[in-house]
Amino acid sequence: MDISRRRKVNKVVAGSLAELYPHNLQMYYIPPIAEISLSEFEDLALERLKVLRCLEFVNLKGANKFSDEWKASLCEEMTKQGLKNFYKMSTAPTCKQTDAELQYRKKDHLSHFILRLAYCRSDELRRWFIARELELFKLRFMSLNADEIREFLKINNLSYSPISAEEKDAIKDELYESTICLSMALLSDTDFFRVPFTDVLELVRSRKVFVQAGFAYIPSSEFVAVMSSVFRATLGQALMMTYRRLPNVDDERLVPLLKGLHTSYVGENFKTPKGGEICIEDLDQHAKTSYPLCMRFLHEALRSNHHLRHFGRLQYGLFLKGIGVSLQDAMRFWRDEFTKIMDVDKFEKSHAYNVRYNYGQEGRRTNYTPYSCMKIICTSVGPGEHHGCPFKHSDVQILANKLKAYGIANNYVTEISELVKGSHYQVACGKYFEATHGKLSNGIQHPNQYFEESQVALGNRPAIKQEPTSQNSQHSQPNNYTSKPKTVKKEEVEEDVWGGDIDLSSIDMDVV
Amino acid sequence: MKLEEFSPDSLPDLLPLYYKRLFPYGPFHRWISYGNVEPNYFQNREFSFTLAEDIYIRFKSFIGREDMEKEIQKRCPYKIDIGAVYATRPQERHMTAVFQPQERELVFDIDMTDYDDVRSCCSGADICNKCWKFMVLACKVLDAALREDFGWEHLLWVFSGRRGVHCWVCDDTARKLDVSSRSAVAEYLQLVTGGENRAKKVVIYSDKLHHSIRRAKNIIEPQFESMCVEDQDILGTPEKMSKVLSLVPEDQMRQEIEKEMVKQSTSKARWAALTSVVQSWIKRGQLKKWRQFLVEEIMLQYTYPRLDINVSKGMNHLLKAPFCIHPKTGKVCIPFNPRAAEKFNPMTVPTINQLIHEIGQFDEEQTQGDKSQVSSARRVKDYKKTSLNKGVVIFEEFVRKLEDTWKGKQIKIEASDASLNF
Repeated sequence: MDISRRRKVNKVVAGSLAELYPHNLQMYYIPPIAEISLSEFEDLALERLKVLRCLEFVNLKGANKFSDEWKASLCEEMTKQGLKNFYKMSTAPTCKQTDAELQYRKKDHLSHFILRLAYCRSDELRRWFIARELELFKLRFMSLNADEIREFLKINNLSYSPISAEEKDAIKDELYESTICLSMALLSDTDFFRVPFTDVLELVRSRKVFVQAGFAYIPSSEFVAVMSSVFRATLGQALMMTYRRLPNVDDERLVPLLKGLHTSYVGENFKTPKGGEICIEDLDQHAKTSYPLCMRFLHEALRSNHHLRHFGRLQYGLFLKGIGVSLQDAMRFWRDEFTKIMDVDKFEKSHAYNVRYNYGQEGRRTNYTPYSCMKIICTSVGPGEHHGCPFKHSDVQILANKLKAYGIANNYVTEISELVKGSHYQVACGKYFEATHGKLSNGIQHPNQYFEESQVALGNRPAIKQEPTSQNSQHSQPNNYTSKPKTVKKEEVEEDVWGGDIDLSSIDMDVV
Repeated sequence: MKLEEFSPDSLPDLLPLYYKRLFPYGPFHRWISYGNVEPNYFQNREFSFTLAEDIYIRFKSFIGREDMEKEIQKRCPYKIDIGAVYATRPQERHMTAVFQPQERELVFDIDMTDYDDVRSCCSGADICNKCWKFMVLACKVLDAALREDFGWEHLLWVFSGRRGVHCWVCDDTARKLDVSSRSAVAEYLQLVTGGENRAKKVVIYSDKLHHSIRRAKNIIEPQFESMCVEDQDILGTPEKMSKVLSLVPEDQMRQEIEKEMVKQSTSKARWAALTSVVQSWIKRGQLKKWRQFLVEEIMLQYTYPRLDINVSKGMNHLLKAPFCIHPKTGKVCIPFNPRAAEKFNPMTVPTINQLIHEIGQFDEEQTQGDKSQVSSARRVKDYKKTSLNKGVVIFEEFVRKLEDTWKGKQIKIEASDASLNF
């Protein structure tokens, strides 16, 4: 262990709570050094997990992130989970040094670092964790007033100052035109910050700000974007460091707990089909009865054009793998269709590789996971392409016409159109399920889950037993399919079995 | 000697000559080394070869210019692709635990096939002078955005050999961008979105135009009538009219426009009818505030650059090297000047057999002339004797400008090297 560094950290971390946690919002630069009991360790982890899970759950409802609707929904969900206080502290910080506030900050600090240990293990976990933590950070940042923000920047040594009045005047037309939701009247009262465009990628991506010579000019109202990117970058790096040092955590009481925590979060991955084999001769039938709309569109586009563009092939090909089409069958399926417009030779040269690739037989030999709804919804679709989520990527009118052509009852078509207009794509998909099966779905999260549920509903397959909800599963209903939790076995980490407290300082999470 | 049409079967005969006498290894090597400001920049670069019979070799790398020259001449690849720079030599990638791309030019790929729904002159792999205008506009719009908005100067524009163009952004800061920054830039420059199930692919949804869109509009507007309304005849038939009309979201307005349009007989008059109806709606304040850019939206949907953004997003995406020969058309992937893009004519890009023919003719003239001058003529670089020359000149100009930027850094390096030499 690096003694000198440890000492340095010690110096910073020692002190009263008020000195340690001067601000409600933290960047989590310094890992904690404290002794806590094993049960406390676990409780902290689970509580934060609940918070992050609430965020994920609320996101799936489809409201715009950080909108009032979204916040109300989050508040409701967190109250339901007994986290009302946490919500209140996060959204309406007093920023006063009351004892309750300080305790909350300490808990926040500890629990964040505990989850780092559990969520640094794979790319997927890291991505999930960063996304949720970032939402929490943004939520908190947006609840601060101007003074508190200034204080926060000062504490964290982040010096940003607005551009001068002259500079602003010289580019005021561009600023007005290119800054989203900015009126001429507001322009004069708004401070602008000039930052490298790489600091505010989300604003640049969506053309919400003025960009010139590699710099973005952002109004103070969008400052949260700058902080978010700093936060994301720091956390991403820190997680990599934690991951590299994870083998040093050899406390046998912790390892199963940490492992359990993260497995409690991996949803179904559909890498290996659960049902029986699916015969490709039946696909036309399945497309009509059991496919979610995204796959039905792809299937029909393939049948009529005898071709799909790259991302269409991926989305549909992986789905087929997930429902149980074997590699041999998949090869035959694609070959039969593609060779209607190209010779076999060309197919073998340009496409056979990709079919084998999907099944992990080529290239990196990864057994690729079929795409989830989230991934499909977030994908971008260009001219000539058929992939994506039909509810998101179609014109409402075109969608409605197609649904009618499929024989969906008018009242359902109207209902689906309304849902789509409100951006509730997955709910709309659930409605489509309802319309075609006469039964409610369990909430659509994944095209393959849709297919499985449909097969069960049609009586082609026995129902899958739902695991009894345990203390870890916070959401009994809609999303229990994707995040089917496995309980952290309490016995493995029971305090009286292993005894003793955990010295957090022995876990090397220092990134300095 | 008569010049024959190019046929792909002749490639095995022509390629060895091309790679031996014409391929500009010098500037090519200088470009990829980037002044060797960072050590091993050239050595750690991935190249890939496509050989006859579609044999594909990835992760090739070269020690230096001679090595590259020898290898290319030995293999005579049908296609050479350039990949990313890695921390170690790609050929030795199995010897390291982590093999991740470190740097890479930011690249853009625009392909004519993505314009199939807005062009009626050709489709698929075919191009003509009419639809090439889409490429010219795309190049102008993209070039301006990269230079003005992102401040990049070293842009290499290359005709891809058949139906598209590539742009290599070679500035230091562009090469160092991470994947998420690349994807943000790509999406910033992508305006036409939506697949086959979406008719309206450009929605501005604001009462203001972002400066990058306004600039694009200013570039596009003067060309639009001649290249789209007239050349592509976008309102020429009832089907084509209904395609444009489907981009008008307001029912009442759409009907009004249709009524006015059918009175006219040419695309041009119909387009004028459309714009005047929209104008009168705007004047009367009948159009919702965020819908007032309707005409602009239609123009942009037809002409704004359609990027294959997945090429730009990735760090390890391979892209065909300039000066390759397109195996189907025999044409050279030749650099062109974006400022004079409208003068570039893809139909007259030299093919490999034309070049070999030209070089043969030149040699013949030399031998017929004074024999004593042959030795001095030898010193003339071979590509200068052919129509490849223009492309090489543009390429050399690009490399020279690039070299100016690292001159300062190189002097420092040389100075520090010199101080070590006792």
